[in-house]
Amino acid sequence: MSNTKQTELIGQKKNFNYWWERIGTLLIFFLLFIVIAIISPAESNFLSLNNIINILYQSADKIVIGLGVFFAILIGGIDLSIGSVMALTGIWMGMMMNAGVPVFAAILAGSLLGGALLGAINGALVNLTRVHAFIITLGTQWIFRGVVMIISNARSISGFPQEFKQVVNFRIGNLLPTAVVIALALAAILWFVTTKMKVGRNIYAFGGNPEAAWFSGININLHRLIVFVISGICSGIGGLIITAKTGAAEPLAGSSYETFAIAAAVIGGTSFFGGKGKVWSVVVGGLIIGLINNGLNMMRVDTFYQQVVMGILIIAAVTMDTLFLRKKKS
Amino acid sequence: MEKLVEMKRITKQFPGVVALKDINLDVYPGEVHVLMGENGAGKSTLMKILSGIYSPTEGEIYIEDRQYKHLTPEISQEHGISIIYQELSVIDELSIMENLFVGRLPEKRVMGIPVINKKYMMEKAREIMRLVGLNRSPMTMVEGLPISEKQLVEIAKALVWNTKVLIMDEPTSSLTLDETQNLFEIIRNLKKQKVGIVYISHKLDEIKQIGDRITVLKDGAHVATKMLCDVSGKEEIITMMVGRELKDKYHSTCCENTDHEEVLFKVENVSRADGKVKNVSFELRKNEVLGFAGLVGSGRTELMNVIFGAEKMNCGKVYLEGRELKIKNTYDAVKKGLAYLTESRRETGFFDNFEIWKNIAMEESLRTSKWSGAYGLIDENAEKLEAQKHKDQLNIKATSIHQNITELSGGNQQKVIVGKWLAADAKIMIFDEPTRGIDVGAKSEIYKIMRELVEQGKGVMMVSSELPELLAVCDRIVVFNEGEIRAILEGKDATEELIMHAAT
Ligand SMILES: Nc1ncnc2c1ncn2[C@@H]1O[C@H](COP(=O)(O)OP(=O)(O)OP(=O)(O)O)[C@@H](O)[C@H]1O
Ligand SMILES: [Mg+2]
Repeated sequence: MSNTKQTELIGQKKNFNYWWERIGTLLIFFLLFIVIAIISPAESNFLSLNNIINILYQSADKIVIGLGVFFAILIGGIDLSIGSVMALTGIWMGMMMNAGVPVFAAILAGSLLGGALLGAINGALVNLTRVHAFIITLGTQWIFRGVVMIISNARSISGFPQEFKQVVNFRIGNLLPTAVVIALALAAILWFVTTKMKVGRNIYAFGGNPEAAWFSGININLHRLIVFVISGICSGIGGLIITAKTGAAEPLAGSSYETFAIAAAVIGGTSFFGGKGKVWSVVVGGLIIGLINNGLNMMRVDTFYQQVVMGILIIAAVTMDTLFLRKKKS
Repeated sequence: MEKLVEMKRITKQFPGVVALKDINLDVYPGEVHVLMGENGAGKSTLMKILSGIYSPTEGEIYIEDRQYKHLTPEISQEHGISIIYQELSVIDELSIMENLFVGRLPEKRVMGIPVINKKYMMEKAREIMRLVGLNRSPMTMVEGLPISEKQLVEIAKALVWNTKVLIMDEPTSSLTLDETQNLFEIIRNLKKQKVGIVYISHKLDEIKQIGDRITVLKDGAHVATKMLCDVSGKEEIITMMVGRELKDKYHSTCCENTDHEEVLFKVENVSRADGKVKNVSFELRKNEVLGFAGLVGSGRTELMNVIFGAEKMNCGKVYLEGRELKIKNTYDAVKKGLAYLTESRRETGFFDNFEIWKNIAMEESLRTSKWSGAYGLIDENAEKLEAQKHKDQLNIKATSIHQNITELSGGNQQKVIVGKWLAADAKIMIFDEPTRGIDVGAKSEIYKIMRELVEQGKGVMMVSSELPELLAVCDRIVVFNEGEIRAILEGKDATEELIMHAAT
């Protein structure tokens, strides 16, 4: 009892900054939502339950891979190999299933373990070479994609068991697609890792000041490896979602998906300076991307223009971060 | 005589704190105006207002008959105001020369096109570096310089341009005696050129040597402004600052009858591949504070880095309570009961993205973790209570333990780092310049804590460049020179002369 009293005593004052950091991205999401709802043509049924579920469904893969790159950015790095990992894990799963491996075993080995392995390769390479992750993952982006082409002969694989598509397309209560549940469950796990587990605290410390982290007793190499393994697993799950959605493993799947991932992370307020960002904000970042895509589709805006909008959004998000940081420093 | 600068009725508010209340400060040509006060009194804030970084909430600044509501860094520079910040602002990725001219590269015209005047930069850099006593090539990269030399670069930066008012915020906090004396020589020369100087320091011995006038702040309020010749001595300054008297010997009172023979920690033949530490052996006994003296670059920090596993040990052994300690990395060191407060809080000490409580909680969290730090759950409430305890114990001035560490004054940041290592509950504590930037009152508090630690049976090693501090606290003092131990002196026999003799 005295414990709770004491923590009340030292409780935090909740000012504007406190709330902005926590729910700022969510606020932006709702503002955008309202704006799109108002300007989208009435016959497009933007506000229908069906469409809203659709937005969630389309955001699921962006959320998942956004969470992956979020970790890489948190330690002052980046992961550019996401799209290639998605494709390679997809191909692996497809080949296993076609060889008769049961669906869930293929998912476990191909998507989860496969993603972890590719992430570990990224992390180990950065640790061994000391080259910035930007260069390493740019390299592995090509290497992994090359491996996809070699083992698949640049041909897509399909003809999987029916359950496979159900893994992400099954609708719980005839409504909520499992892809969304997978994304949210992953976010919940990673939220727990970042806020409740020591490894999460260490990763934030690492991102904030790597030198100090080392002198405080944080095993830098191990934590970098963990970060890239997490990023790899997230990409693997992303690979699962896009492969199962269509029911085919395409050799070109996931091309340039790293930009979606990075966009979700930075729109969610993850700082490129390292050490700052939140899991749930990245989820909202992914939702914002899904929302904009959906909204612009509703308004029949050409996909080319959608790309322009996405680019502007990324620049705006990072600029805000930089300005905010600069203001705080002075 | 005409005033160079006058700050009138300055008030500055930050969210949740009034950092300055109604402060007046003026500077005359050719004088050293000393600014003193406890950690968090508002000294740096006042100076950042003068250099144009902060805008005052209220008040005016008069410079050369012009009145300003607030300044900008540009206006401040135009009026010839230079500042040496408390926290190093040198850029590691640039050379010394580039650092000196950063943001204001000298130009010359080649066929009407402005280009960088490298030759002038080189000459000017050489001249200034000779002046501050920096014996390096101007092209040396700043990264990898010892912190004292970085501080000299910082000082040199302020001397490149013709200055009318020079603000020095704790310029000597990481300098040794020699370098400090050299700086005073520079200050005396500047005085002759009618430069007005504002000088902030927590080292009382310096004040009488160099100061002409003193202003004391306490909790953001003005206490007094006096000519230093009217101040009777250190005690009077302390009383103005803290409001009470302090004692300055902290030897254990039971020196004679405690068992000083039992060896707690032993270092045997430790060397580094780069030759910065050569064949060093010593013992840390139970119930003693072991001091490490030496000039900058004598290898003390380099030795501590390898003991703690932060850098590679070429050969040598370390024993804790008679058993050999194998330390592969810093995690190992923390796990096996070592603590190491590093000499540079900004670079290797704190996490600027963390609140006070998370900074303090770091070590305890690692020590109780598994799998190399990766496994373990956080107990936020326990961590906050622990942090609160250390905030109270060390009297850290902050709105709450939830305040971000970057919003604290320099000395209070240092206290947070001290708190973080105290919370680690280690068996052997290594403190490298633990009182850097800490005010007199808090210093004596930290000495007291060190004594308490050794009385609880822990081992304490303290590296310090302040001889009076070593003499006041340590039972024995190891003197380093060029990576080797030159002498191990008993605390009660040691004097500054003996130490300096062994160190050079
Ligand atoms: N950016 C900031 N945001 C909030 N509070 C601040 C900020 N900067 C300073 N403060 C507060 O203002 C007060 C005065 O700080 P200041 O840095 O001027 O102290 P100081 O006298 O220089 O102390 P020290 O001797 O430790 O360097 C402190 O209580 C500090 O917490
Ligand atoms: Mg200060």
